[in-house]
Amino acid sequence: MAFEYVKKDTPLDRMNPLVKLLYMAFALLLVVQCTRIDTISILLIWILIASVWWIVGKVELKSLGFLIKLLSFLFVFLFIVQGLTYRFGDQTVILKLFDFPVAGGAVNYGELTVGGVMFGLVIALRVIAVVMVIPIFTMTSPMSKISGALTRIHVPQKVIFMFITAMRFVPLVQESMDNIIEAQKIRAFDLDSAGIYQKLRRAYIPIITPLLLLMFRRAMDLEVAINARAFGAKKKRTDVEDISFKARDYIGILIIISTFLLCMYLLYFDPTLITWNILVMLVTGISSAVGGALYTFGITNLITNINSALLDIPVLNVIGGFFNQNLLTGYGAIIAILLIIYIVYRLIRRRTKKKKRAKI
Amino acid sequence: MVIPNYWLHFEISCISCDIFVRNQTDLTNASREPVWQCVWKMTENSIEISKLTFTYERGPLALQDVTLNVKKGEIVGVMGANGSGKTTLCFHLNGIIPTVYAGTEKGSIAMCGLDPWETPIIDLSQKASMVLQDPETQFTTTDVASELYFGPANLGVEKEEIFRRAGWAAEVCGISGLEERKPQELSGGQKQRVALAAGLTMLPEVLILDEPTSQLDPVGTTEVFNVVNELANSQDMTIVITSHKTDEVARLASKVLVLKEGEMIAFGTPKEVFSQAELLNEVGVNPPAAASLAVALAKKIPDFEEKYQKSGGIPLTVKECYDLLKQLLDEGYLKIEWHEPAQPKKVEDLPVLELENVTFTYPARIPVTALRDVNLTVNKGEFVAIIGQNGSGKTTLVKHFLGLLEPTEGAVRVDGEDVSELTIGSIAKSIALILQNPDYQLFSISVQKELEFGLRNLGLPEEEILQRVEAALDEVGLEEVRDIFPFRLSFGDRRKVAAAAGIAMDPEVLILDEPTTAQDFVGRHVLCQIATKMRDQGKTIIMISHDMDLVAQYADRLVVMAEGQIIADGPKREIFDMKDELEQAFLKPPQITQLSQLLRDYGIKENLVTVEELEKCFKPGGGF
Repeated sequence: MAFEYVKKDTPLDRMNPLVKLLYMAFALLLVVQCTRIDTISILLIWILIASVWWIVGKVELKSLGFLIKLLSFLFVFLFIVQGLTYRFGDQTVILKLFDFPVAGGAVNYGELTVGGVMFGLVIALRVIAVVMVIPIFTMTSPMSKISGALTRIHVPQKVIFMFITAMRFVPLVQESMDNIIEAQKIRAFDLDSAGIYQKLRRAYIPIITPLLLLMFRRAMDLEVAINARAFGAKKKRTDVEDISFKARDYIGILIIISTFLLCMYLLYFDPTLITWNILVMLVTGISSAVGGALYTFGITNLITNINSALLDIPVLNVIGGFFNQNLLTGYGAIIAILLIIYIVYRLIRRRTKKKKRAKI
Repeated sequence: MVIPNYWLHFEISCISCDIFVRNQTDLTNASREPVWQCVWKMTENSIEISKLTFTYERGPLALQDVTLNVKKGEIVGVMGANGSGKTTLCFHLNGIIPTVYAGTEKGSIAMCGLDPWETPIIDLSQKASMVLQDPETQFTTTDVASELYFGPANLGVEKEEIFRRAGWAAEVCGISGLEERKPQELSGGQKQRVALAAGLTMLPEVLILDEPTSQLDPVGTTEVFNVVNELANSQDMTIVITSHKTDEVARLASKVLVLKEGEMIAFGTPKEVFSQAELLNEVGVNPPAAASLAVALAKKIPDFEEKYQKSGGIPLTVKECYDLLKQLLDEGYLKIEWHEPAQPKKVEDLPVLELENVTFTYPARIPVTALRDVNLTVNKGEFVAIIGQNGSGKTTLVKHFLGLLEPTEGAVRVDGEDVSELTIGSIAKSIALILQNPDYQLFSISVQKELEFGLRNLGLPEEEILQRVEAALDEVGLEEVRDIFPFRLSFGDRRKVAAAAGIAMDPEVLILDEPTTAQDFVGRHVLCQIATKMRDQGKTIIMISHDMDLVAQYADRLVVMAEGQIIADGPKREIFDMKDELEQAFLKPPQITQLSQLLRDYGIKENLVTVEELEKCFKPGGGF
């Protein structure tokens, strides 16, 4: 599991979980308000400060990578859908995928616009802004402290126990699942080599059925176990963890609130001037530098040539002028080539990885 | 004077589990009477059960006419085959039965003066704490430390006291230093120790242990039983313990209860109970080897029974038995005539499984090197047992043969071919592994379908599938339940289904992973006998086990593992002489072997492993 607590002995480790809960609450409060494209800068500032928390809490960057990987599909989807449909920002066309004119040609939903992609980015950043704060809570707070803290704010004991049990069952399900897959492999049941259609149709039955039955049995046993250990015997359980507020907790709260207030200030009083300009400068700087470099090395020329060559291929150019843009000449070609290379690479790898056939 | 408001609680507990029906008439005012009596009746007995009969709702009769009294500070060993009602009895003692599981009951129980049927479970659980069979499911929190705090915190014990108890419990159960581990980072044996420690932190008046050592190695088992004994003596705790490990129960229990299908077969001191060796064998309880030997000798040698009765009852431990035999040998009443034990068939040098310099590290937060530079060759037709402490890498080792794990370094070969080059199908065709827990693999609607599954995966023709299924069902004796949903079977039978599924694949190599876990005496022998039969047909058998009796009886070759390395490898009779290596692996030879080692001066030339082998060596001496 990627998001479990690991003892690290950092200031965040010792901090009261309630502070981190507060942080999560503020993150939600922030993203609710950041909806326009020009709030990108504010979201970026929030994410930047959150990553400082990550560094202080020594949370592995690996788990951030895992998060991004998990969400990458969503992000790509957002970029494409928003890029094709959002028509309030910059109308410059990045890519023309196909022709789908609406309202007498005023809007073409086949064109991926800069404004649309930017809006997709805003939504992605909003997701990241919240998601980044979650590991700060879960990966630096031991379960015992969380339950102590929740008791303190008068969350009922049963609700807390439900929460803890859920946390306990996640790795248990994972482990059981691995064991079941192994057990079925021993019986010549090979999930990896089954096709997707087969997988969906029947291959999961031998894995899901024992898992469900096992979990029902486990839940029953858990009931016996907690009863045997006097759960609920006394109205007031003893709090084992010390969860009183210390100086560091107040500092934490101060930092969180001031970050939030800074973002609010930028949002409502000075939304574009400073940060937006910096962002624009960065983007234009990078793109002109890259463009210049590409030009001097003759790559732009090369791409134009490849592009026209690709346009001559009979089937490909039918896809509605896939490579035919004036702006950002031939970037589409690069993307397409990379995509094709990647797919071919995956196919080849899959072939070579196939194991030797059975000997009888 | 405080008047307890049990009446109120009683109503609540009835509402919360309205599915159970006691005697409906009992719910009238008359039922209050026994409650009052219970409160005032202060007795020496912690547990009083009289004529208890219990039937599970829509289930079988689980207990029948059980009557017993247990004094404070006593250790009661409850024994019996699987499904004999041991767990049901335990559930009665701490109130699990009326609250969690429903059924109808007759008779009466008093636990420390409380009636579980009238007292809410939260009151009872302060008196009686229970440790369940499966250590996996009773882990209620996410790390070891909070697991130890859970119970006493529920009781509202002072914080300092909780820390003191947790430290003490971790110490006596041998899990100090693991406090920050998560359940998935512990081995089965460690989890079991955590479960026991968590039970201890409650400091109950009565501690109920349901198979607390089923996954522990022999030395670990002895340690746990010593802890239990210590608690009974120093804390005056009453302990009810169910176990299949007769040696330990015989050594420490003050009373032994034997159950068969819910009925009491015997109840008394260990000496009284275990002298009825034949009766016990009949009900699926294996008496300690020392007692079995004494009974066997009593049959063969006249007056032997009187001799041991005179010197303090039937011998139960190696020491008692040795003292008795020594005395009788010295007196000339007995004599030893060396009787050569049957030697295993010589196997040809035909390697089936080979490990070459295999090292394996589990990639985890704390990388664990489970195997270090292991070399092992198993020849065709061998019966090899891999023995060793919990977490010494036994299961990791066999998983390599199946291609479930790939070695970090080194090579694994099956029939001369590298495992990493073989498909899952071809491995499954040549090797079958019978897992500890059958529930990981059973999913079909009937037993027969379950057996067909693996064969269909191999793509065999229909007639052959049918024929093989028939043969496998016949082998394990499950023909009668072929149409039943496997999950409705008992654990032992489920395990047999899993075994049959493995056998049906007609493998060249059969691997048994801990055939003893949660299996009674009969169940574990059934699996081993099937394995022996397959060995005689020229197949190769590998068994992983803690049960030294079983290993000594069936295997020909022993491989001893400790800390990821093979520290000894050879014929069983030689291995049992390697004291240092066995100690390093936390193992000890079975009782009979220990005896034969002690009797070496009297003419026992080799290590003997079964009661029959040793019994054959004794002859009446004639001198009186």
